[in-house]
Amino acid sequence: MTRRVMFKEILENLLSLRFVLSLVLVICLFAASGFVFVGKFAEQSADYWAETNRNLLALREECSNALYRAAFYRQTIWRRPKLLSLCAEGFEKSLPNCFRSDAFASDLPQVKGRGNFALPHFSDIDWVFIISTVLSFVALVLTYDSISGEREDGTLRLMLANTIPRYKVLLGKYFGAMFTLAIPLIAGLLVSLIIVIPSEDVAIDAAAWLKILAVAILSLLYLSIFVFLGMFISSRSAHSSNCMVLLLVVWVVLVILLPGGGRIFAEVSSQSPTQVELERRLDEVGKEIWDNSEKFGKNAGNMGPDPNNPGNNPPARARLKTALTNAANQVRDDHHNKMLAQVFTGRNFTCFSPVVIYQRASEAMAGTGINRCVNLYQQIKQYQADLKQYIRGEDAEDPDSLHLIFDEEQCARWWKTISHKSVDFDTVPKFQERDFALGQSLKLAIWDIGLLALFNLVFFAASFVSFLRYDVR
Amino acid sequence: MIWKIAKKEFLLNLMTFKFAMGTILCMVLMAVFVPILAKDYQQRLKIYNDNVARNEAELRKVRVYKNITPTIYRPPALLSVFSAGLEKQLGDSARIELGSIPEVDAAPTGDNLYLSIFTVLDASLILKIVLSLLAILIAYDSISGEKERGTLRLILANRTARHQVLLGKLLAGIVTLIVPATIAFVVGILVVELSPMADLTWSDWTRIGLMYLASLIFISAMYNIGLLFSCLANRPAISLILGLFFWVVCAVVIPNASVYSATRIRPLEPKVEVDSQIASLRSELRRKWIDIMIATAGNRNTSQSDAQGAFGNGYIRKFNTDCFEWQQGLHPAMEPLRIRYADKIWEVESGYLKTIWKQRHLADNLSRISPMFSYENATSVLAGTDLSSFQYFVSRTKAYRNQIVEYIRSRTDNFRSSSYWTPFSKEYASDYGEGKREAPDIADHPRLNLEDLPLCTYRLDLAESVRRAIPDLALLVFANVLFFALSFVAFMKGDVR
Repeated sequence: MTRRVMFKEILENLLSLRFVLSLVLVICLFAASGFVFVGKFAEQSADYWAETNRNLLALREECSNALYRAAFYRQTIWRRPKLLSLCAEGFEKSLPNCFRSDAFASDLPQVKGRGNFALPHFSDIDWVFIISTVLSFVALVLTYDSISGEREDGTLRLMLANTIPRYKVLLGKYFGAMFTLAIPLIAGLLVSLIIVIPSEDVAIDAAAWLKILAVAILSLLYLSIFVFLGMFISSRSAHSSNCMVLLLVVWVVLVILLPGGGRIFAEVSSQSPTQVELERRLDEVGKEIWDNSEKFGKNAGNMGPDPNNPGNNPPARARLKTALTNAANQVRDDHHNKMLAQVFTGRNFTCFSPVVIYQRASEAMAGTGINRCVNLYQQIKQYQADLKQYIRGEDAEDPDSLHLIFDEEQCARWWKTISHKSVDFDTVPKFQERDFALGQSLKLAIWDIGLLALFNLVFFAASFVSFLRYDVR
Repeated sequence: MIWKIAKKEFLLNLMTFKFAMGTILCMVLMAVFVPILAKDYQQRLKIYNDNVARNEAELRKVRVYKNITPTIYRPPALLSVFSAGLEKQLGDSARIELGSIPEVDAAPTGDNLYLSIFTVLDASLILKIVLSLLAILIAYDSISGEKERGTLRLILANRTARHQVLLGKLLAGIVTLIVPATIAFVVGILVVELSPMADLTWSDWTRIGLMYLASLIFISAMYNIGLLFSCLANRPAISLILGLFFWVVCAVVIPNASVYSATRIRPLEPKVEVDSQIASLRSELRRKWIDIMIATAGNRNTSQSDAQGAFGNGYIRKFNTDCFEWQQGLHPAMEPLRIRYADKIWEVESGYLKTIWKQRHLADNLSRISPMFSYENATSVLAGTDLSSFQYFVSRTKAYRNQIVEYIRSRTDNFRSSSYWTPFSKEYASDYGEGKREAPDIADHPRLNLEDLPLCTYRLDLAESVRRAIPDLALLVFANVLFFALSFVAFMKGDVR
């Protein structure tokens, strides 16, 4: 019987104006998102490879000059454009994309490239955006009169006069709405993929297909929340127009206002760490170490061209400089952590909205967004440590060097604290970003998937109870 | 007759569930969000005040003219509570230096970069979304609903003209919508007024008044759109769906799509290229600088000075007569060169900025298809948080730098006076050079009297803001007229059965 109700619902929906309108709108949006992505991805990839090659070329040059030059060369590492940002772009265009680092320290991440800071911050038209705003709206439009509309027409009475139990009607309507919604969703995804796949820059491998599938399943889970919500509200009121009003209120608050509130809550609840403050901290820390420079050995503060001059004390200088570098790195790390803590506070606060949860889960699955940027920064710091280790190893083989690996290029030049021999470029470690494996992505997303399921359960229970007690007259 | 219809409609609207919901929602949202926005404003104001105080304290410590490098800060706009615009997105400080024209570092580096994953929320967003939805919800069944119930036939069976019915409905709708809009504004103003630090001037009041006016024109435009769909469709369910889809397109699709198209139609050059141009100019300057230093030093003995280490913000404390003469020759040759290079660098920089502004303008013009954007833009212009207010800040900082440069020039006789680079006289140099006296402690150095230093005034002109808001307001009025005319035609020709 459930199945019959479901088929009736689907057929009725398919013939309705709202379905046609939403199908057209959604397919147009997905097509637009596909075209936009193809153009953007080609441009970003070209930029990325140009920058990366420039960086590697310069590094090769430095390696052939001397080992110490390679150690002090400030590499510029760019964030690689990702294919799966087609599914969930995760505001990557306004997140840091440029990282500078040498073997001793990494700058704080920066935003560079073709971005226009004067444009309003919008999410890209990616799948997640279309699904989370437009399709969730369609879900409400399809279900707002599913119960109350039938009551108004009087058909609900007729139906329940038969021997069909109420829960079967409810389930039939739910599946009917979900299948109807799945049509624009799947059609849209296919259209977008059909546009994207033939372009030459794009190659989707098996893992990516799995992730795309995961995002599609997440989308269904997300849309199901809104279907349950629509049915719940529809079975709370006797008039379908009142249901629409209520649903619109809920939609506006959940989908538009709450996610926007994140920034303001983050800023009010904790003060933004500012650049001025960072510089002051750096100065303070540096000054403290400089003032106690004698602690690191005699004449640690001195530096002259001649290493044999008794006024210079290379080991002490090395200790002093290492302490300075470590302290500065620590301050920068703290600053960075504070920034992240602030953002995550804001984001956690907006978790009342299923949109944010869905966004976060799909970002985790697609391996994009803020988590990816943070992970990338950590990987770069790891790379920096690896590079230093490599330089230490290479340096140990040079008898002329003082074997003092510390952050002062002038000393390395004058005193040969690091080897001046050239190194083979092929043996130098190069930075390679590692993507999240599927398991890792799942682990990141598991809480959010749980929350989405919880939302589903709550609204299902609510609509179930309401409908059982609904006055069908 | 129009009045009678309007009154009946108005009373009917007041009794509806949607009206109650819309009004309550407006009130609650304003009461919840505006205090948070006001608190946020206070925090920003506090940071601004701290910065200004620090800047003044630093200026008071200045002992030589070359160290006059004040930083000017953009004060946070009080009305950003109502319309945040680009307030937080753009840079808010600029350092005034001889060697560079302040490129107000547009992307705010001091801020938390990661916060850009959130969209902006302000009072105008609440008004824009909630009131426009309410307008469509009230309008959708005004004609088609009566058609379905059969009451439209009855009305028109009398001697009431069709245009009277339509005008009556329009009037009633606008009057109904004024109620929640007014309540929202009153709540917003009360919250702002009650919060400490806020001090509304008459200019602010005028701006708020104009924002209120813009809101009314905007909601009446949205109401007219709803009315058009109501005249076109035979059933209220259909007009509702049409209206809502139109709303989604206006609110969500058009703003996003126009930003996109703008970035495609007028793509930006990568910033890297501009940066490398600037870097090459800087290294050119450095080469010339070194040439000048060598040329002016000649064969003087300058070893007995700390000049080598004192190029940055400090100044020379230990010098002999030779060194004194060298510096006297160096600065008049050096500073005009630095100023000239600053102009060159600024040219490159401003060329890049111009492409950025152009892209933004294109995006704006494309989004003006949606009345929501016109409304948003009009309010942010009135609040002083839009792009042109920022451009005004940039131009002010540039003008202020020129003032400072002129000031320093006039006070130091075109950098020829020794007060430009040292607080000490030539006698001190000869005494120090001959070992007759020690370099004094920094605390004992005389300070400059900078009472007549020009101050930077950054204040938005009300008339200018109004002038810039007029195109958008006109566009909104035009949308009103257009959609009303369309619904008029549709209703005149429509079948009322």
